[in-house]
Amino acid sequence: MTFTIVARCSRSGQVGIGIATYSIGVGLYCNGLRSNAGATMTQAFVNQGNNSLALRLLAKGFTPARVLDELAANDPDFEYRQIAVIDRQGNAAAYSGPKTRGYSGHKVGEGYVAMGNVLAGHHVVEAIAAGYEAHAGESFERRLLRAIEAGRDAGGQVGNDGHLTERSAGIFVYGAYDHAELDLRVDLHDKAVDELRRAFEEYELYRGYYRDRGKNPRDAVPQDVFVAGLKQHQEAAQ
Amino acid sequence: MTYSIIGRCARTGRLGLGITTFSLAVGGRCEGIAAGIGVCKTQAFPNRTNDPLGIKLLAEGFMPARVMEMFAANDSEHDYRQIAVMDRDGRIAAHTGAGTRGWSGHQIDADCVAFGNGLVGPQVLAGLIAGFKTRPDDALEYRLMRAIEGGRDAGGQGNATTHKPERSAAIKVVDRLDYPDIDVRVDVHPTAVAELRRVLEEFKLYEEFYRERGRNPSKAIPQDVFVANLKARRA
Repeated sequence: MTFTIVARCSRSGQVGIGIATYSIGVGLYCNGLRSNAGATMTQAFVNQGNNSLALRLLAKGFTPARVLDELAANDPDFEYRQIAVIDRQGNAAAYSGPKTRGYSGHKVGEGYVAMGNVLAGHHVVEAIAAGYEAHAGESFERRLLRAIEAGRDAGGQVGNDGHLTERSAGIFVYGAYDHAELDLRVDLHDKAVDELRRAFEEYELYRGYYRDRGKNPRDAVPQDVFVAGLKQHQEAAQ
Repeated sequence: MTYSIIGRCARTGRLGLGITTFSLAVGGRCEGIAAGIGVCKTQAFPNRTNDPLGIKLLAEGFMPARVMEMFAANDSEHDYRQIAVMDRDGRIAAHTGAGTRGWSGHQIDADCVAFGNGLVGPQVLAGLIAGFKTRPDDALEYRLMRAIEGGRDAGGQGNATTHKPERSAAIKVVDRLDYPDIDVRVDVHPTAVAELRRVLEEFKLYEEFYRERGRNPSKAIPQDVFVANLKARRA
């Protein structure tokens, strides 16, 4: 029970993942992003070795389709996994094992994969894809967030007793560096996608400040001064 | 303004990082941890490329002290960084640059290093270390949690007149594998350390279920059934 977008931004070349699920602390499993290689996510019944293996195969030059073949050949329980793989050029492949539970499926689009399991139906997958595609002018991070919000709004996850809320969520973006450009999470919340939007909008206000502070420490204002300026600015705007 | 602890479990060889700060989403800027290699964390005015570089240098076989010298040689703003490096054997190097702000320092002890800046004083580092050592037989994630709580309870971030709340916090632990063993986060919260304790305790209830579900999917019960059982046990 999880819904996810794995994508590459054709403008920036960044790769990213947006994810939400009933499970708590899903960010623990989102270690499948690497600059100049690609992005991958294994979900449903997770084989935790898959993401790092898939990244190494991508880095060696395997195509996403071939990476999936290798993951299949390497795993006796492959039919329980749901997997997306995208390379640094935006080539994508996906697999929804027949033994994943509930409605389970994926859509491979131009430079992205939308996928999920224990969903209200295929329309959730379509909504994730549409949410991502509908806002092509926005930043990559915002498009990932839009995608999972659209999945939530389309009904998200449905278990045996009806709708299952999103309890954890995250957005992850890697660009040219071997550290994350964005790695933002909600680990335990009764409306994790809403909370992720709140955290994202708050963090967006600080991102440039945090980046510059590290690059030019001599010129950096103290964070409390920055926060006071932010508050002043927000009050003036109201 | 941040206080952190890097720790090693001498029993299991697990390595971990516990961190909390006034800044948002600090856990999203903690890439420097690798099983079988070590832990590296740069803070204060962090140079984001330091931690991945530190891990690669440790993996090459350089000692933490030598890694620190290379950081200094590689960075014109080294004076503004606060850095701790620990290798898989528990060897430690730490650096608190003269340009870091507020009360700033580090304290090295057996299998752990506490470091922070913008703090109310050295008692925060003592609180971190004491928290880490309180129950040496506990799992490393709990020792790191207790360390952060010890730092918070010793006054945390601020100065003589003001206190700065912890707005984000994280604990990461690696074991032998190339993915994290424990990775819990609070990114935007007014009392992030208390919230991190809540997240950790809740996650620990699910940890084995999540692990087993992936390893033996054909035997896994659905998560809603697991959650219902959990509620029944609590009641």
